[in-house]
Amino acid sequence: MDLKKTLSESVIYNYYGVKPEGEIQSREVKKSPSARVAKTRQMYFETKSSASVEFPYWYTRRWDELEGEIPIVRRAEALKAGFEHITPAIFPGELLVIGKAHYLRGSYPMPWLSEAFFMAQEDEMYKDALEAGKVSADKVTTIGQGGGNVTQSVGNVISLAGKFGFRKEEMPILLHIAKKWFNKSVDDVGHKYEQLVPGYKEKEEIMRAVICMFDSGYTLPQGREVMNYYYPLQYGIEGIKNICKEKLKQTAGYPDMDRLYFYKAVHTMLEGLQSWINNHAEETKLMASLEEDEKNKTEYLEIAERLYWLANNPPRTFHDALQMVWIFHVAVLNEDAISGLSPGRLGQVLYPFWKRDMEKGLLTLEKTHELLECMRMKFTELDCFASMGVVGGVLSGNTFNNLCIGGLTKDGESAANELEILILDSAMTCATPQPTLSLLYDEKLPEEFLLKGVECTKIGTGYPAWVNNRVAMEFLLNNFKNEGLDIEEARAWSIGGCLETSAGSWMPLELDGVTHYIPGGSAPATSVGVHFISLPKVLEAVLFDGLDKRTGRRVYPSHGYKLESYDEIWKAFKEYFSLTVEVLTLTNNIQHDVWGKISPSIINSMLKPDCLEKGKDISKKGSRYNRTFNVEICGGVNLVNSLSSIKKNVFEEKNFSMDTLKTVIIENFGYISASETGAYSLTEQMKTTDYRTWLKIHKQCLDAPKYGNDDKYVDDIFKEWQKWFSVMCENYASLYNEPLYSCQISVSTHGPMGAVTLATADGRLSGTTFADGSVSAYPGTDKNGPYALFSSATCYNHALSQNSQLNMKIHPSVIQGREGARKFLELIKAYLRKGGFHVQFNIVDSRMLKDAQKNPDKYRGLMVRVAGFTQYWVELGKQIQDEVIARTEYAEI
Amino acid sequence: MNHIDCKYYLAIDVFKGICKITKDKINADESGCSDFDKASKCKHCKHFSIKDNNLGLCMKKTTAYPDLQAVTCKDFSWK
Repeated sequence: MDLKKTLSESVIYNYYGVKPEGEIQSREVKKSPSARVAKTRQMYFETKSSASVEFPYWYTRRWDELEGEIPIVRRAEALKAGFEHITPAIFPGELLVIGKAHYLRGSYPMPWLSEAFFMAQEDEMYKDALEAGKVSADKVTTIGQGGGNVTQSVGNVISLAGKFGFRKEEMPILLHIAKKWFNKSVDDVGHKYEQLVPGYKEKEEIMRAVICMFDSGYTLPQGREVMNYYYPLQYGIEGIKNICKEKLKQTAGYPDMDRLYFYKAVHTMLEGLQSWINNHAEETKLMASLEEDEKNKTEYLEIAERLYWLANNPPRTFHDALQMVWIFHVAVLNEDAISGLSPGRLGQVLYPFWKRDMEKGLLTLEKTHELLECMRMKFTELDCFASMGVVGGVLSGNTFNNLCIGGLTKDGESAANELEILILDSAMTCATPQPTLSLLYDEKLPEEFLLKGVECTKIGTGYPAWVNNRVAMEFLLNNFKNEGLDIEEARAWSIGGCLETSAGSWMPLELDGVTHYIPGGSAPATSVGVHFISLPKVLEAVLFDGLDKRTGRRVYPSHGYKLESYDEIWKAFKEYFSLTVEVLTLTNNIQHDVWGKISPSIINSMLKPDCLEKGKDISKKGSRYNRTFNVEICGGVNLVNSLSSIKKNVFEEKNFSMDTLKTVIIENFGYISASETGAYSLTEQMKTTDYRTWLKIHKQCLDAPKYGNDDKYVDDIFKEWQKWFSVMCENYASLYNEPLYSCQISVSTHGPMGAVTLATADGRLSGTTFADGSVSAYPGTDKNGPYALFSSATCYNHALSQNSQLNMKIHPSVIQGREGARKFLELIKAYLRKGGFHVQFNIVDSRMLKDAQKNPDKYRGLMVRVAGFTQYWVELGKQIQDEVIARTEYAEI
Repeated sequence: MNHIDCKYYLAIDVFKGICKITKDKINADESGCSDFDKASKCKHCKHFSIKDNNLGLCMKKTTAYPDLQAVTCKDFSWK
């Protein structure tokens, strides 16, 4: 049988309203970047993700030289060696310079965190490395699908983690240094100690069953947080070094000596950054010397002068300030494997510089726009090097640099400003995934600002996401009051990563004798702790008495219930879920403790209030706010829909027995599994010959009450889950002895977690992707329109959790023109006024996505919103692509 | 020698780069042109000695590799 043909012919789409007919509808408005950025964006499109060994080589070399040194100083010296040896690269046309590595989309492995996945692939990588061959750019384009991903080894390039190209000649040294970290990396040392946790055996089985997606301590130990750029903007690098020198005098020989080592480490690191910046200045001068075009030569020389200045001093202008922000952003990214390092409310941070330059006539709107477009390109060029499971299964190759606009000022007035309007404009003309934008919605924001936000969302960028300022503040006041957070400080919040509410602070930036209170992050990484528990998989284990039925392995001890009532199911679920959270909290606490000892954050710590004042890094609670560990879940809506079906079909209407349900789950309702068909949504599935045996039961499961329709029956189940979940998290303490809280985002985990989960009682088939986000309806099941979906989504208090996540897909024709924009804004307001925390949109014709799946080369620049992030369609895995296509498309609102 | 070994080669990614002189896009593994000038890499340094399997020693004591860029190395000295 021609499987592909059968599948493509059977495609259906999920619509609410009148099904679109005729030609595929394009997005309403298409804008273009400036000529300069059009060129750099084209270069980006033609560039492959590339990793190098340069930084880890120098890091490891210096680390080895300093055996016996105080650990944080040893690490600072190792990082310094890494920074000062990065080969500087200045790409033509850039106005903002410096990257993570010398490639345009450069990154590198960090074996001090984990060397395990190179070692595991060692034989395979050596084999690839030995296969010589001539390589050309033309040849690699045959890889085609996947945009910048290097999915296969070709010629002198080896594919790492299915994404990163790596030069063959560097492979021996990578393996050489990886071996040096064996039994010394955070991963290995953490593993040694986590085995002492009672319940470790269950933890291993939980990971094996993919009930939990990954450990956080050595994969992405930092991130999902908001940068704080205050110190470099206020003092400059030499100024911060001077603060350290004073602090060294004050702490040397006095009790609490860790402060001394911290200041020494920060001072050392800053020397490394100065070399790094000066090296780039030198390279820029070289580029200028080779340039014949006078305008380009002048531009290079100006960049060089700026870098030399910023290597020591605070910024003088908006352009300086933007370059300084970028330098420190990259500096933090280079000290750890990080996703979700958000610039936060950057338009408000930079506003004093911008306003002053505009008033003095040093800057124009056009120049600002061009600089902001250049900034978008630099953020978009970022890659996070991690294993395939993390970079693909969780991140979808995204780096989640969330820039927030709107919100309130320190004294409670609208914080929206003209620079944020320009940020929105540049995000429309230079539509790229990074930085993604979130609009912190508050009733105090001006209508004109909100309409600008709608204009941007409408063109199909996926941003800004719309986030409820008041709900976030309530969450922060509830959870950080014990650390002294008050209403004023709550207003400084921003989003870290895709959607993690993060505490902030107001910092007093002095400029020309005037104090401007600028917001910035003042808490370390969130979304560390228990990373993504698959709720449908836990329920599956309940139904099969603790077994992972897919592999036959026992995950949990037998629960001992006969499952003769709905209450027993719910009770068993809570027990298994609690056991999962308990063991993962303890083991992750150990991993993060080991991280703080072996690989502490130095640059990011220095930036975060109040580490520099206290002399403590973030792993020693130097930050002002430290309650940042959470419990993340995935597949909540499938869990609730399944519980609804079990309650209705098995226990109330007795349509079939529990044993029959278990049988149909194993039989996948008579369908071929997604792993065989390669199709991951319900819109494209193949039946087996005996599907009729299970047809009636499948229909009963599909017909059971579904979340997203304002149906009290199922919404009450959802509400009960939410209330229990948010409270139970507080039973567990983080490494910093603070209670955990709930976090509800899926990122991309709903793909791989769905892939290992059997069919579910809601009628979902084996291996297919779960519903995205946390309050998005399962594709095709929200049949009563957007306002019914909003009612279901807000049946509980969203401030109980760090976030909630709602994705909607709207056909472009529905919101066309100014009238459509107003209607769209009213829809958004309606949801947020009901207490929804977050909503984001794909404005796209589903048929275009299907066409893009068939013809990816035609759609290199097509972006879609996944779950908290925008990504190029061609860089998404098929599990997620299928799910996005299947999402209900609203052809009416 | 190939472009990748030239001091005027600006790598964009692992496959290709830009010639800093002509601004042309060039493939890393294709032969250099008449402007070719050796990039400072360990393999051209008098302190580097090759061992085997693409590894060697720097200053006779520290493991290094021949293709390591040395433009930022204070100890680099042409052979």
